[in-house]
Amino acid sequence: MKLNGSEIIAECLLEQGVDTVFGYPGGAVLNIYDALYKYSDRITHILSAHEQGAAHAADGYARTTGKCGVVIATSGPGATNLITGIATAYMDSVPMVAITGNVSNDLLARDSFQEVDICGISMPITKHNFIVKNIKDLANVIRKAFKIAMSGRKGPVLIDIPKDVTGAVYEYERETCAEIVNTMLSSQSDFEEAAKLIAESERPMIYMGGGVVSADAEKELMEFAEKIDCPVATSVMGLGGFPCSHRLFMGTIGMHGGYETGKATDNCDLIITVGARFSDRVAGDREKFGKTAKIIQLDIDRAEINKNVKIDSYLLGDLKDTLAELTKVSEKAEHNEWTKQVAEWGKNSAVTETPKSDNYAHPYHIIEAVRKLTDDNDIIVTDVGQHQMWVSQKYRFEKPRTWCTSGGLGTMGYGLGASVGSAVAHPDRKVVLFTGDGSFHMNLNELATVCSYNLPIKVIVMNNTVLGMVRQWQKLFYGKRFSQTDPHRKTDFVKLAEAFGVKGMRIHNDDDAEEVLSEAFRTNEPVVIDCRISPDENVLPMIPPGKTVDEMITEME
Amino acid sequence: MDNKQIIGLFVHNHPGVLLRVTSLISRRGFNIDSLTVSPAGVDGYSRMTIRINGDDNQVDQFINQMMKIVDVKKAEVLPENSSVASELILIKTSTDGHDNNDILAVTSKYHASLVNLGDHSMTFRASGKPDEIDTLVKELDEFGILEMARTGIAALENGDKTLNN
Repeated sequence: MKLNGSEIIAECLLEQGVDTVFGYPGGAVLNIYDALYKYSDRITHILSAHEQGAAHAADGYARTTGKCGVVIATSGPGATNLITGIATAYMDSVPMVAITGNVSNDLLARDSFQEVDICGISMPITKHNFIVKNIKDLANVIRKAFKIAMSGRKGPVLIDIPKDVTGAVYEYERETCAEIVNTMLSSQSDFEEAAKLIAESERPMIYMGGGVVSADAEKELMEFAEKIDCPVATSVMGLGGFPCSHRLFMGTIGMHGGYETGKATDNCDLIITVGARFSDRVAGDREKFGKTAKIIQLDIDRAEINKNVKIDSYLLGDLKDTLAELTKVSEKAEHNEWTKQVAEWGKNSAVTETPKSDNYAHPYHIIEAVRKLTDDNDIIVTDVGQHQMWVSQKYRFEKPRTWCTSGGLGTMGYGLGASVGSAVAHPDRKVVLFTGDGSFHMNLNELATVCSYNLPIKVIVMNNTVLGMVRQWQKLFYGKRFSQTDPHRKTDFVKLAEAFGVKGMRIHNDDDAEEVLSEAFRTNEPVVIDCRISPDENVLPMIPPGKTVDEMITEME
Repeated sequence: MDNKQIIGLFVHNHPGVLLRVTSLISRRGFNIDSLTVSPAGVDGYSRMTIRINGDDNQVDQFINQMMKIVDVKKAEVLPENSSVASELILIKTSTDGHDNNDILAVTSKYHASLVNLGDHSMTFRASGKPDEIDTLVKELDEFGILEMARTGIAALENGDKTLNN
């Protein structure tokens, strides 16, 4: 049948099973939005307040569903506003298709109104991008974009479409979307080699990352860990991929990870890395990381092997397949002494909580109180900073895809948009955003979106009135010269919420926390909770950048 | 560290593919000293020949990173001892204060042909292994090089093996 380019876009989205898109209209995408009007019974469009919020929403939608997020923006500033959102998704391997309009072919390359070379701009932060200058290529480019976004190591793909292409008419034929199968690249002998290292190990540990969640390989990981009786540490990105309540779970690893994961890393004889990439926040010292141990790495991306840390043996392929195969060829083992030792280190976890003051609540107290009000399937989103690390340390995650955080790029302002995407995807679950006053100030405009769609997100602003994480580094490494980290803002978050049409509440200290939170969680409407935290609260323990657990800071001031 | 290796890339001839490759090289911090692009002899594909400076691990990383570019179909090291590598140079030498025969004595060693004779200059064309070209340049520098242009390295692996299949 003959359709115009915009209808072809809508049909191709339907081919891919897309029923929800995020975006913001504009001149160059008028045709596309006209088609969305026509297809509104099959494609729900969520309108954000700013394109960045829409991109983060598509990201949150993708992380919590496993599906590909879709975001649409107009040319020029619409497209550039997506960039932080796309880069965030790229760093955390989140599948996303971003569709941008551009000026018509005859206006391209003339510095036309709202023209920008978004393909050039987005090249380093996308898996691939396309500009579709000819209507005959459109359908296949969209299909290819989804395939690239969802296969191998997932990530964002951008499609730039000049306005005349979205209006041109062309023959369209529906195609069924083929299931994506990632080929296994390792051979039987690779598995046997890895199994041999595992059999020889007396003190193994698993270091898992976001790849486990991305590959939906949580069951395979658990079977593997249980069979070889191996303690599990996770990167911040991997949280939810292994239940925190499991006897083999140690905690997060790295800069703000637990003492036991650091000690285990330095004392084990084998590290089995599953879907993780030895980032500087985990392997602060690349040379010393796991220096007494052999390292096996399971990943889908060949370029991650030997990138940061030297690997002894590796397995390439979809983690679901490689983990299942490795479990099969590995001998059942018990490491009682070792797991006991790890548990012992866990008890010694030397973090001292700052004494309570009547004027403030303690962040751990708030997180634990929230945990009591949430189910294992409820979704926790964060922004970036101290609150993010506190949540990663304290919130007990049990299920995959219940955790949304910008781990790689560390995008302050990510949270509210991602919460919108999560809440749209999961109307049956609670969505809680932990944010800080710094992060929240960046993109709180999306409260307008929260209100428009009445998304019952509980926004907990850990309000310490300062830019806490940077301030903590200034305390530690810059002689307490608090340069530009105390903004002296007078924002009243309760009134602010109310101005947006959202309920606002306040937690003054630990004593009223439970009561306020219970009331907030009782309603099925959005609530912003201003939670007063001491500006002197720190994230501990902390391994200074470039160091190991031996230099872990457990106390400050 | 001076460990130069030549890598052959077989790529889709899509607009922007050169930018994708060079942008990745630059942001991953690789050090390239030669890059050439030409049709690959297969419709719709181009061949790039890149020489980089790095140890084996870096070269391995380079190839793995290149293979992540959707338009790159193949990336392989062309080992020095089992490949033929060649490049062409056009070089303009000053003749002021020199006997033309002295210059010709040098260039003849490299089978460089005189392609233009100016009032104060001679222009030569030579081709050969990259290090031979390097020595030619060094020797002609004694007379004063006015300008030069090199094509960059082209390389193919010996035997029946190709990058294309």
